[in-house]
Amino acid sequence: MLVYTVRRILGAIPVLVLASLLTFVMIDVSGDPLAELRMQTPAPTEEVIQQESERLYLDRSMPERYWLWITGVGGNGDIGLLQGEFGPSTQGQQYEIGPAIAERLWTTLRLVGIAMMLALGLAIIAGCVSAMRQYSKLDYTLTFIGFLCLAMPTFWLAGIVQASGVELNQLVGGQVFNTIGDGRYNAEGQPLWDQFANAFAHMALPTLVLMLTSFAQWSRYQRTSMLEVLNSDYVRLARAKGLRNKTVIRRHALRTALIPLTTVFALGVAGIIDGAILTETVFQWRGLGDFFITAVENNDSYALMGWLLLSGVLVILANLIADLLYGVLDPRIRYE
Amino acid sequence: MTTENTITTDTALEVDALSVTFPSDDGPLPAVREVSYTLRRGEALGIVGESGSGKSVTSMAVMGLLPKNAKVEGSVRLMGEEILGLPDKAISEVRGQKIAMIFQDPLTSLNPVYTIGYQIAEAVLAHNAVGKQKAWERSRELLEIVGIPSPDQRLRQYPHELSGGMRQRVVIAIAMANDPDVIIADEPTTALDVTVQAQVLEALQSARRETGAALVLITHDLGVVAGQVERVAVMYGGRIVESGPVEEVFYRPRMPYALGLLGSLPRLDEARAERLTPILGTPPSLVAMPQGCTFAPRCPMAREQCHTEEPVLLRTLDNGDRVPAQPGDADAHVAACHFSDELRADTRPEDLFRATAVDTEGVESVEELDEAEASVAGAAEGFGSAGEGPEPEPEGEPEVLLRAEDLVKNFPIRSKGLLKRKVGDVQAVSGVSLELRERETLALVGESGCGKSTTARLLLNLVRLTSGGVSYMGKPLQGLTDKQMRPLRRDLQIVFQDPFASLDPRMTVADIIAEPMLIHRTRNGDAKKRVKELLELVGLNPEHGSRYPHEFSGGQRQRIGVARALSLNPKVLVLDEPVSALDVSIQAGVINLLEDLQEELGLSYLFVSHDLSVVKHIADRVAVMYLGKIVETATTEQLFEAPAHPYTQALISAIPLPDPVKERTRERIVVTGDVPSPADPPSGCRFRTRCPKFANELSEAERSKCVDQVPELRERGSGHRDACHYSEVVELL
Repeated sequence: MLVYTVRRILGAIPVLVLASLLTFVMIDVSGDPLAELRMQTPAPTEEVIQQESERLYLDRSMPERYWLWITGVGGNGDIGLLQGEFGPSTQGQQYEIGPAIAERLWTTLRLVGIAMMLALGLAIIAGCVSAMRQYSKLDYTLTFIGFLCLAMPTFWLAGIVQASGVELNQLVGGQVFNTIGDGRYNAEGQPLWDQFANAFAHMALPTLVLMLTSFAQWSRYQRTSMLEVLNSDYVRLARAKGLRNKTVIRRHALRTALIPLTTVFALGVAGIIDGAILTETVFQWRGLGDFFITAVENNDSYALMGWLLLSGVLVILANLIADLLYGVLDPRIRYE
Repeated sequence: MTTENTITTDTALEVDALSVTFPSDDGPLPAVREVSYTLRRGEALGIVGESGSGKSVTSMAVMGLLPKNAKVEGSVRLMGEEILGLPDKAISEVRGQKIAMIFQDPLTSLNPVYTIGYQIAEAVLAHNAVGKQKAWERSRELLEIVGIPSPDQRLRQYPHELSGGMRQRVVIAIAMANDPDVIIADEPTTALDVTVQAQVLEALQSARRETGAALVLITHDLGVVAGQVERVAVMYGGRIVESGPVEEVFYRPRMPYALGLLGSLPRLDEARAERLTPILGTPPSLVAMPQGCTFAPRCPMAREQCHTEEPVLLRTLDNGDRVPAQPGDADAHVAACHFSDELRADTRPEDLFRATAVDTEGVESVEELDEAEASVAGAAEGFGSAGEGPEPEPEGEPEVLLRAEDLVKNFPIRSKGLLKRKVGDVQAVSGVSLELRERETLALVGESGCGKSTTARLLLNLVRLTSGGVSYMGKPLQGLTDKQMRPLRRDLQIVFQDPFASLDPRMTVADIIAEPMLIHRTRNGDAKKRVKELLELVGLNPEHGSRYPHEFSGGQRQRIGVARALSLNPKVLVLDEPVSALDVSIQAGVINLLEDLQEELGLSYLFVSHDLSVVKHIADRVAVMYLGKIVETATTEQLFEAPAHPYTQALISAIPLPDPVKERTRERIVVTGDVPSPADPPSGCRFRTRCPKFANELSEAERSKCVDQVPELRERGSGHRDACHYSEVVELL
């Protein structure tokens, strides 16, 4: 298992390098960071443009800039991923990309993490129940809900949920759910309970939106995989041994039925980050989604690169975790 | 046939009027109908039948393992207590403790994520309040009983680290864990090679000796039944149609179906000349069960009464009267046939069934069958004149068509990392030389993984050679490009094993058969006419070309595969396990067809098979392969009458004969263990690790030769060659 783990981790490194290269090239060729500056009226002097160009290292060649972006060697101390610097921003000299990303990351991870865990838990339960009672009314109901959620685009679902939240608030005549803002700093310094209530009020609706799509997808997978396992010979043999139904389900069926889900889960991480951008925008959160949109608007290439690379790292990390989980769940993988 | 007084202390299992129905869109499907049988303590009962006869569903119903939607009626009493329909808690106390089950496929019946030890101990712990340590010790003991070497190590391994035969023994260990009264074994050896089958049957015997359990052995293999059980029940169309002591059913069947099954079986213990008598048609579909006797549509004896009235199981007295069996007389020989008295003791299968190659698809009566046979003969004639046709009988030694010299095929083993470095080779084929002559059938036999299919593909240049050479009519094939190879492909065609996977489900049968002609542009205008000829030639209704493959049964699909291969007038057909996916009654018809086609069209066959009985029936010469090498080659007569290599001897001796007396009295040469990995074959003679001669007869000095020197194929006279340093002819049949 140790060898397997080390091998998987080492295997992630070249993928990461490749991801950084692709990210860099794609952003670098996709626009001029100085475009806005050039179009200002009155037109800025050549000197100003020159200065800004040097500040953003645009006077150097592309390979040089990539090297600089990664290592920071030969820069002004504000660049170099290996040194923890993300590079200068077009949004002004005071704007530091690193701390900005870190702050936004936490906001977003809170949302994505909770939504994913909830979706996973509910998907496993719903999938198993559906499979164990195949073609029952419950199965049909869950199937209907699943396809309904799958069919709805995230931004639209987000809009509906937000509108419903507003309606509910009006109906009750108070603020049950906050439908705008992440409220991260609203309750700072207040008692723990108030902090929790504040977080809940802000997070409930976006989490619900983000959760539903993944839940729908995963529960379908879990249902299929559970059905397959329930009809397998080894589950039949487990029953033939004289194990009680509950034991058979828990020990033999569920355990093996979870294996395919880990892959789907890892693949789903990219999608859920995607969904988070839309959800955050609708609910006006200052998360990574908002960071991304602001960066695009400002042609802020280093910010965009940082954001893209971070998403890449998250996806690679999720795959790594899935690989390791796979190893734990399935001995055939472990000893390969 | 059963009443209350059959329940004696002597009875282990009593199944009474058991019926199983599955709901479906086409209405309820009667999978099992009114099956009754009694099993005494310690007794072995065989249930035989073809696929779809309901034999597996019956045993699942007895165990209460059917899905919830199945409707089960009747009664199952285990040691006098009703177990059908018990709630989960009660039935789980019975299962595994009093009645245990062994499934067909050992590769899927163990949970891949738990160790062997865990899975056996689980069975022990389910019914005994003992500690984990005790359960583990008991598991170890069980592994020893079923004959698994180094049990301590095995207990900690996962199922994927064990071979199929080993895994099946683990399943047997699980079944016997709690000394059950009844063990149900559902096709326990079907998925295994014959030498491993012998080992697993041995393990099953030990399990019975140890526990005293009664056995229900479900199988399609009449040979296994003949050797393993005292009584047998034959199932057909969801019912028991005949049952009785095994000798009586085998030597004096009272139901035409049982007689037909025996006649359709190619036999190791009979001369090749005898033609097989297939049972025409296909087993009944559950959706449309025939009225009256379910076998009537395929029965040559069927009359008016058979199509209207379903016969019940009755004894047939010597004077021809049919009477009910005595209540409680489990040994009575009963059959469900209105005319069982017409089957005499000396009735042979060929007296009743036709040794035909025609399929009954579209044939309703015996008269029409005559026409169909006539038209097949006509088609063959037309075929001959239309194509290049068979050449006149060659004089003297027939010409060699395909010649293979020193074929080697290595598959690289690659490392798991990113680089996928080559770390070694699996020698799938290692130095095989063969000759296939005109109008000859050469059989390539061996167990799974011996390299026989790879060899066949090498001969057709479908797989690239590592070294060696293949030539067709003197022209070397190796190194030819696909384009250069194409004109030769016309002469060299292949029929695959799986008739379900080898036909494109989205093409009509006519398109499938015409495709090779389109590729080779041999027929432009009259392809349609030619397809009809071909369909007729393989014994199918020529009007059915517009149908799709799924509308045909397995045997019919294999005929379509043959028709496709014949469409280009080939000279050589490679038949890769062409009948191993078919039920015996169907298989016989396809074998007859292949024999007829060879006769009529002058074909040469390379017949790849693991089934020595079929090989004995169809082949002129045989080459036996083991771990990528040919160990013995001879004419069929020589090989079966005087096998010289210990592996050939073991193979022949491991095949169960469908004859209870012969099977129980024959001398056996048993091999131990599994085939070693071809990635790391033993030095010297590759068979030595399993060789009974090496283990039991040779002295230490003699053995060193087996370890150090690779035995070459040596001539024994008249073309019989073997690769054993100490070969010795043994008579086995």
